Amino acid sequence: MKIVRKVKVKNSLGLHTRPAAAIVKLLQPRKSSVFFTYKNETINARSIMSILMLAAKKNASIIVTVEGEDAEATLHHLENAFEQEFGEK
Amino acid sequence: MTQGEEIILRGLPISKGIGIGFPIFFASVDDDIPEIAIPKNEIENEISRYRRALDLSRKDVENLQRMSLHEGPPEIVAILGTHLEMMQDPLLTTEIEGRIREMQQNTESIFQHLIQEYKQRFSTLQDTYFQERVRDIVDISRRILGHLRPLERVRMAEMPHNSIILTHELVPSETVEANSSLVSAFVTVAGGITSHAAIIARAKGIPYVANVDIKLLKKTELHSIIVDGSEGIVIVNPTRQTLRKYQEMKRVHLEGYKLIKSASHLKGETIDGYEVRIFANLENPKEIDLLLKNGANGIGLFRSEYLFLSRREFPSEEEQFAIYKKMVKTLRGRPLVIRVFDIGGDKKIDLLPNAPDAKYFNAIGNELNPALGCRAIRFLLRFQNLLETQLRAILRASHYGEVHILIPMVSDLSELRQVREKVQMIQADLRQKGIKTGNNVPIGCMIEVPSSAIMCDALAQEADFLSIGTNDLVQYVMAADRSNPSTSDLYFSTHPSILRLIRMVVASANQARKPVILCGECAADPSMIPLLIGLGIREFSVSARHIPLVKHTIRKWRIIEACRLAEAALEFPSAQELKAYLAAETAR
Repeated sequence: MKIVRKVKVKNSLGLHTRPAAAIVKLLQPRKSSVFFTYKNETINARSIMSILMLAAKKNASIIVTVEGEDAEATLHHLENAFEQEFGEK
Repeated sequence: MTQGEEIILRGLPISKGIGIGFPIFFASVDDDIPEIAIPKNEIENEISRYRRALDLSRKDVENLQRMSLHEGPPEIVAILGTHLEMMQDPLLTTEIEGRIREMQQNTESIFQHLIQEYKQRFSTLQDTYFQERVRDIVDISRRILGHLRPLERVRMAEMPHNSIILTHELVPSETVEANSSLVSAFVTVAGGITSHAAIIARAKGIPYVANVDIKLLKKTELHSIIVDGSEGIVIVNPTRQTLRKYQEMKRVHLEGYKLIKSASHLKGETIDGYEVRIFANLENPKEIDLLLKNGANGIGLFRSEYLFLSRREFPSEEEQFAIYKKMVKTLRGRPLVIRVFDIGGDKKIDLLPNAPDAKYFNAIGNELNPALGCRAIRFLLRFQNLLETQLRAILRASHYGEVHILIPMVSDLSELRQVREKVQMIQADLRQKGIKTGNNVPIGCMIEVPSSAIMCDALAQEADFLSIGTNDLVQYVMAADRSNPSTSDLYFSTHPSILRLIRMVVASANQARKPVILCGECAADPSMIPLLIGLGIREFSVSARHIPLVKHTIRKWRIIEACRLAEAALEFPSAQELKAYLAAETAR
C-alpha cells in the first residue's frame, strides 16, 4: 500500500537534529519505506543526516510518501509526532 | 602568512640532534587522506575494517553517554544519543559500504569525500542554525576516522628523503619503521621523554621535539623546517642566515659524534682500569650490524615483541628460530639476551577482529588500568602456547651460541619458577627428539616492578641474572605515567628512591654472585653513568647509537670518584637537589 500526504512542521526550530532523530527512532520498528519530499528534494526518512539536509523550518510543508504493509499505522504515528512537535511543545 | 617569514616554536626536547628538511603531515585524523586503490579480493576486508571502526566509535559514544548520565548536563546525553543514531544512519552504513564496493578505494578517502559533500551542502543552507549541525557530523567523522587510522596504509618506511614528520602522536610500531636516512626529524603534539616512541627515535638518532602545536603549522605555508632536538626548537621557514647557522651546527654535531665513535672499539674502562661492559638494546634484528660496529659486548636486551608489533602477528616457532639463530651467529660468541614478548597492557596494537591473533587481546578486553594490567609475563602465562613456542625457538637457537632468556615485568618469584619449569620441560622434550640446545641457558628477571626490587634478594637466589629496567621501574615507583605530560615532571630517573633501589638490587646480586645489568634510558645519560657505576653497576645495555658516548663517558672517570659521587648522591632528600648536584659534579 502506498500513501502520500502533506504534513506541516510545527515546532519552532524546524526539523533539526532532535526531531530528525525522533523520526528515525519512530520508524525503526516499522516495515514500510518512508520518503520525505521538500523543495524538490526527496530523501529517505530513516536517515537523520538526510532529514537535516532538507533544512525544513517551522511551517514548512513536507510531502510524506509511505509504502508497505504497515503504511497506514506508520503514517499515523508520523503525523502524531509532527503534531506533538516531537515533544518540544 | 607571507612567504619566507620565519617562525620559531618551542617544544619538549625528546631526541637530540638537528634535522633539516621538508614537512610531511603524517596520517593524523584531520590530515588530507590519500586515495588508495583496493584490489577486488580485499574489498570485503576493507568493508569489515570500516564496520569495526564504526562499532568502536559507537562503543566510545556509549561509554561517554554512560559517564555523562551521572555527572554531565542532560543535553550532553541527548546529543550523544543523536550521535549514536547518526552512526546507524544508512548514509554512514550502507551508503559507505556501497561506495567502497563501487569505487574500490580505501575507506578513509571515501568516507572523507562523503563528509566533504555533506559539509558543502550544509554550508549552502541559509539558516545558521542548520549550518551549526555540521559540527555533529564533523565530530562523528573524526571519531570514526580515528578508529580507522590504526591501519593507515601510508607507511613510515616509505617517506621521501629529508622528511620532517609532523603528527599528533607517534606510536612505537610506526617509529620502528622509520628509516633514519629518510626521516630527518619528528615533531608531535603529544609525547613524553620516555615513551616507547621516544626511546626508538633516540635509538635511531632521529631528532624529535614534542608538545608543538601542529594545527598552527597546518595553517601556514610551509617551505622548510629545522628541528633542533637538543633545545626543543622548531623553526619554520628559516631565513637563509638561520639555515646556514644550523647546517654548521649539524656538521659540528656529526663530527663530534664521529670523533667519539672513532674510539668506540676501545673497552669501556675507567681511568683506573675497571671494565664496564656495554651491551646494546635492539628492536629490529636488521640493525645488528650497527651495534657490532659501535663496539657492543653483545645484545643486552632484544625486545622480541617488535617481531610481533612490526607484522601484527605472532611469529611461528620456525620464523623465530630462524631469526634468533641468525642473530646468534652474527654475534659470533657474544651473548644475546632475548626478552620474551613484552606485550599486552599498555603495549597493545589494534588488530582487525578477524586477525588470527586478535583473540588474545579480545580475551582480555578493555582494561581499566592497562599499565597495571595483563602485560608481559602475565600475558604469556595466560596464553602459555605463545610462551612455549617462543621458548622452544630460543632453546633451539641456543645451540648456536650464548643465549639468555629474560622475563619482563616479574612481580613475584612464582613467575620465574613457572618459566624455569617450562624451559626444563621443553629442553627435555627437544633432547628426546634429538634436537640440540645449549647446555646452559641462563634465565633472568627484569627488575622493573617495585615488588621485585624490594624482593630482589629472593629473586637473586633463584634467577641466573638480574636486569634493572629503569624506564618502567621509575614509572611504577613514582606512580607517574611516563607519557603523560602532566605527570612527566614527577618522572625522575634521578629520584633518590630509584638510586636506593638500584643499590639494593646490586647488593643482592653481588651477594648471590649473580650478574646484574642495567638497561634503560638513564644508562645513556652522561650525568647518570658515573653515578650508576658508583652504585656498583658494571654492565649497561643501551641503544647501539649511544654506545660510543657511554664508553667515552666511562673512560673519563675513576672508580673511586664514581663511588664518592654515588655515596653523596644517596644522601639527598629530593630529586631537585640531587639533579642540581649531579649536573655540577658530572660536567667534565
